[in-house]
Amino acid sequence: MGTDIINILFSGIFYASTLFLVAAGLQVVFGVQRIFNMACGSFYALGAYVGVFFVKTAHAAGLPPALSLIPLIAAGFFLFFIGPIIERGLLRFVYDRDETFQLLLTFAVVLMLEDVIKFIWGTSPQSTSELYLVYGQITWFGAVLPVYNLIVIASSLIIAVLIGYMLARTRFGKIIRATVDNREASEALGINMKVVYAKVFTLGTVLGTMGGALVIPSTAAMTEMGVELIVMAFAVVVIGGLGSMKGAFFGAMVVGILRSIAIATYPEVELLVIYLIVIGVLVFRPEGLFGGSRA
Amino acid sequence: MAYVHMKNPKLWVFLAVTLFLLIMPRLGSQYLSYLLLTFLGYAVALLGVNLLFGIAGLLSFGHALFFALGAYTVAFLTTKFGVLHMEAILLIAIVAGVLLGAAIGAVCVRYIKIYFGLLTLAFGMLFYSFLLKFYYFTGGDEGMRVLRPYLLGMDLSAVPKMQFLLGKYYYYALAALAVASFAMWRIVSSPFGLCLMAIRDNPEKANYLGIDVRRYRWYAFIISGGYTAAGGVLLAPVLGQVDPTLTYWTHSGTLVFMILLGGFNTFFGPMLGAFLYIFLQDTVMSLIPYWRFVFGAMLAFIVIVAPGGVAGVIGSLWKKEAARDSARNNADPGSERSA
Amino acid sequence: MTPQGTMPILAASDLRKSYGDFVALDGVSFQVRTGEFLSIIGPNGAGKTTLINVLTGLLRPNTGKVFFKDREITGIGPQRLAKLGIARSFQLVNIFPEFTVDEFLQVAIFSRQGKGTHFFTPRGRDHEVRNQAGDLARLFGLGEKRNIQAKNLPQGDKKLLDVASAFALQPEVILLDEPTSGVSTGDKNKVMEILLSASKKMGIQSIIQVEHDMDLVFSFSDRIIALHQGRILADSTPNEIKRNEEVVCTVLGQKECFQIFSDLFGKKGLADDGRNSQDR
Repeated sequence: MGTDIINILFSGIFYASTLFLVAAGLQVVFGVQRIFNMACGSFYALGAYVGVFFVKTAHAAGLPPALSLIPLIAAGFFLFFIGPIIERGLLRFVYDRDETFQLLLTFAVVLMLEDVIKFIWGTSPQSTSELYLVYGQITWFGAVLPVYNLIVIASSLIIAVLIGYMLARTRFGKIIRATVDNREASEALGINMKVVYAKVFTLGTVLGTMGGALVIPSTAAMTEMGVELIVMAFAVVVIGGLGSMKGAFFGAMVVGILRSIAIATYPEVELLVIYLIVIGVLVFRPEGLFGGSRA
Repeated sequence: MAYVHMKNPKLWVFLAVTLFLLIMPRLGSQYLSYLLLTFLGYAVALLGVNLLFGIAGLLSFGHALFFALGAYTVAFLTTKFGVLHMEAILLIAIVAGVLLGAAIGAVCVRYIKIYFGLLTLAFGMLFYSFLLKFYYFTGGDEGMRVLRPYLLGMDLSAVPKMQFLLGKYYYYALAALAVASFAMWRIVSSPFGLCLMAIRDNPEKANYLGIDVRRYRWYAFIISGGYTAAGGVLLAPVLGQVDPTLTYWTHSGTLVFMILLGGFNTFFGPMLGAFLYIFLQDTVMSLIPYWRFVFGAMLAFIVIVAPGGVAGVIGSLWKKEAARDSARNNADPGSERSA
Repeated sequence: MTPQGTMPILAASDLRKSYGDFVALDGVSFQVRTGEFLSIIGPNGAGKTTLINVLTGLLRPNTGKVFFKDREITGIGPQRLAKLGIARSFQLVNIFPEFTVDEFLQVAIFSRQGKGTHFFTPRGRDHEVRNQAGDLARLFGLGEKRNIQAKNLPQGDKKLLDVASAFALQPEVILLDEPTSGVSTGDKNKVMEILLSASKKMGIQSIIQVEHDMDLVFSFSDRIIALHQGRILADSTPNEIKRNEEVVCTVLGQKECFQIFSDLFGKKGLADDGRNSQDR
């Protein structure tokens, strides 16, 4: 029983770690630009596919499997260029429009990226499953935990801390917080919103792709990844509160662990329970756990 | 004008289109007529979705829920309860759509814009998980079969499938679309419709004019639930099979895409959008497998460049012509147009 | 407008509203009688718009009550207020941009007549409403512009349309937030005349307006309330205010009072009027 609980918690936290990254990307974009980026799931998928590619290439070039984390992280960073392409190429034209149109534009990106992935990698899943075992496992109170999962959890935590530091200490972080709090005042202070938007969206993109890349050894990159993940990511940010980083963290934990419990007990209720909670949150506390502003 | 009214030249277009719809199954290819048949179901559904989006200004990312509700109603009633009369099925599905719309709408209309969209998306996915979970009743991800219903009391199960679908069923669905359109036209041209448009344009001002914004949005949600369910009913026999993907959030996105493509700002825009979407998808799919990319690009283009959709573009071209004409004829600026 | 009867149609009782440390309304009480034309004046930031927002139920005061006849209406919200018979126009024009003038007025009339939920009758066939809309449009000088969309109207007409739609509700009390702002100086008097004649025609009992133009205020008001830093500085007829400037200021014991009054009334200060007026 005890080992079961540890296993459930552990896999829940592992899933939460990757969810957190994507959700963090969603939150920072929503907080600053007030755009709910449906394509974050697609970035996740892209990160996964490119991650597989980088790892396979690195192995072929002789990289020892134990260092596979490096090409994965590289994949996440490598895809940063998608951010400016989408932001400058598409999103900026609708900044002055109604929120619903902005949402629809991100939906258009979802459609396009789905086929971009299909074009480059086809429809069969891509994986690096052997990789998983390379890192081995450890035993803890009788539960068998893959080391790789620990690495991902650690990486996510590090990234979370880095984000927190960035928001609190760096100039960029201060600009982000100022804009989230009061957009007009920030503009009046002479902050170049164009540049900020581009940077923020790119940050959001990389967080998404990183999440996708890091999850690779434990699952395969599949066509439905993006569209399915947005459903979870969306639950995370609603529960945590739209626009809040802390919300992304705790929301991810809630969703990750709930999902893990559901899978271990009654798999069919996984989505059901999560969505009942989402609706409950939206009805009784629309700001979520940590959100601020309006309903 | 807050809403485009029909004038004489447009009447000709309307008649031409009606003629086309009437004779297509007789003259056109079977395959294209089959596509046209799917269009009919979506057209009815979109009338409902656009009442909410184009008229009342609320974007729902979960309306595929009602569509699936209608479709599953047909499957349930025909396979599990032996109810085969199409009229009864339609009635039950519409009532179900109305009731569910009332329940879900009561929750959702307290919120606007993004939150409304997210909440409806959540409900749509909740229904999806319902359909998957209760697989004993719903067939899970394999879905359910749909048996052939009786049309106007006629048992047509002996008729070969295509002959049935492209024959009596087609005209039945077309008649249903005509009735549904007429009813929606009345709704949109009513004082209630004007109030909804006021709510869309400026909810605060509408409040100040004594319009109970939340309640009216609720009414619109309820009506749209019934309509979208009816659309699902009409589509189900055509598909022959229903499955949970009908309520997946991307299908809701498709419904909105259709509306945007045709134009949310005119009465027939959404229908035009359904027509264009279905036929374009078929054309593009036969050329390249990456139709989603093309459609995504199309949606992006529409949102950025022509948010009024195809109907919007046609409308503005029309207006330019009319302006040029009136400048030429020096029309009396004080004359009032007959509405 | 001549005040009739003694029953106040609108009464505010000790209204207080603060935003954090900032006190917008600091114990405002007054009454409006049936048939009165009341002007609320005061420098920017005096709390005039907050007062209007509280009176029209958009804001809930921290303490205090608002009464409509004998019924408490504090914070009931603008929608229910409109149904009860109080309407309002906006300082910053608040319109339905896509609507034509005709549709704008029609929707107000439909709402007033309770036809808002009629969802199956064509509005084109309701001649009564169309005629009323036409009459109202002509009353406000928009008769020729009935088919123009609100967003395409010149700024002044937008203002008139906003006000006209409030009148369309045939309220008993109407609150106008700076009805002549955005109207050219030459037309301001005309606009006020239109408002008054429209009120008479539509049976509006009392008008409350927020105005900056002192000429208009003094020409048309039955009573003036001067607001300053959330408090009522003066509440009397135009003549009394002119006459009792010193008394008021002495009673209130404020050195800045004279400065405030001359700020309020501009270069054409009260002192000038006092000296020129016959009854000094």
